[in-house]
Amino acid sequence: MATLIQTLPFLVDGLLTTLLVSACVIALSLIVGLPLGCVLAFGPLWARAPIRLYADFVRGVPILVLLYFVYYGLPAIKLNLPSLLAAIVALTAFKSAQIIEITRGSFQSIPTGQTEAAKAIGLTLFDRFTHVLAPQAVRRFLPPFVNSVVDTVKGSSLVSLLGIVDLMLSLQQVIGRTHVALPLYLIGALMYFAINFPLSALSRRLEKRFV
Amino acid sequence: MAETDARAAAGTPVIAIEGLTKSFGANQVLKGVDLSVGKGEVVAIIGPSGSGKTTLLRCINFLEEYDGGSIRIDGTEVGYRDGAGGRKRRGDRELAAIRVDAAMVFQQFNLFPHLTAAENIMLGLMKSRGRSKAEARAIAEKWLARVGLAAKVDALPSQMSGGQQQRVGIARAVAMEPKVLLLDEITSALDPELVGEVLAVVQELASEGRTMILVTHEMAFAQEVADRVVFTDQGRIVIDAPPAKVFGEQPHERLRSFLSRFAGFRPDPA
Repeated sequence: MATLIQTLPFLVDGLLTTLLVSACVIALSLIVGLPLGCVLAFGPLWARAPIRLYADFVRGVPILVLLYFVYYGLPAIKLNLPSLLAAIVALTAFKSAQIIEITRGSFQSIPTGQTEAAKAIGLTLFDRFTHVLAPQAVRRFLPPFVNSVVDTVKGSSLVSLLGIVDLMLSLQQVIGRTHVALPLYLIGALMYFAINFPLSALSRRLEKRFV
Repeated sequence: MAETDARAAAGTPVIAIEGLTKSFGANQVLKGVDLSVGKGEVVAIIGPSGSGKTTLLRCINFLEEYDGGSIRIDGTEVGYRDGAGGRKRRGDRELAAIRVDAAMVFQQFNLFPHLTAAENIMLGLMKSRGRSKAEARAIAEKWLARVGLAAKVDALPSQMSGGQQQRVGIARAVAMEPKVLLLDEITSALDPELVGEVLAVVQELASEGRTMILVTHEMAFAQEVADRVVFTDQGRIVIDAPPAKVFGEQPHERLRSFLSRFAGFRPDPA
């Protein structure tokens, strides 16, 4: 028991790294994915085509391949990223593709009658977007987005494979030293769960409220 | 120029449609439609489905882009303006300014689900008519009271029946004080017992001299409320006459076969 308590600060450090990576990935993916998703929903074909290609390609590749590609592959073209940055770049590439899709779906699932009604009372494109489409899109966006955040937190455990001491790797290191596997994996699982359960619950509530 | 002046002196129609054509791909749904609607007139468009009546209505506020011919609201061409090298499609802002004069009520209501009844009405008043929030609120409350929904001012569309939603839809359109009110089969999506409350509102609006064009399957209502009934078939206007004449003793052959499908409807020649 005493050993377990001694390991806690180390695990918490790992947890903080997991949270840091997840937060960076989510924030960057929103910055990239929201505008590109809007273009995919409303833009002209020449702008949609490359976004479509990017989103389909990235979502069709295992995240691990993206991670190794950025960390081990890019140095071949003289792009040497430190492991933490490489991890964030790779996960953001994947997550932004998802955000693009969720954003597009949020807008496209709004019935065309909404746009027509907004046009029929003389709203300009800007007003149609800000007062009619966007508020409805946000309601459609939130539940899948929160699920996507949960996936990010869980999926971030892959960065341990680049030697980043996140919650996953810190668990393995502690187990390596103490040879106490089961309780530690349990603690680790509970830590992931403690972050993700409230998010899942939030997502379910949002779905009930808005859908 | 002289011709325009002469027409203005004679009272320009609120809506002047000339030679209107519209195709969806290879399918021409409007094959040269002429229709003119004067101020205060109520025109009912009837006809078999696929005859182009809804497309015609949607062209008037450019929800459908017409290919040829012209639609003018108070003399202003709706969707296009003349420029160097032929007519050009109007930009978004110009269209918005024109559309507000031809506000539309839809078959599926199309209320904004995230806004209350009052907010549905206020949005256009504030954004398109430049009203302050307080003014818009007062106008919205006035109109909701007029359509019998004073108690539903702060209700969301999901908390209202279909008939109530459609009355909000009518209030939202008419509150814009459009030059013409377009009603597109506004009772078709309603349960039969809710049709009456919506038609009563339309009837009242008609009686106060508002210019309206309505596409409808309610033959008895068209006969009662319309100054003119327009029968469309295969992309053309076949008949354009007062209801007494259209539903009279010897209806046009194609109209007769159309009307025979409305089992309960007995044309009332008086």
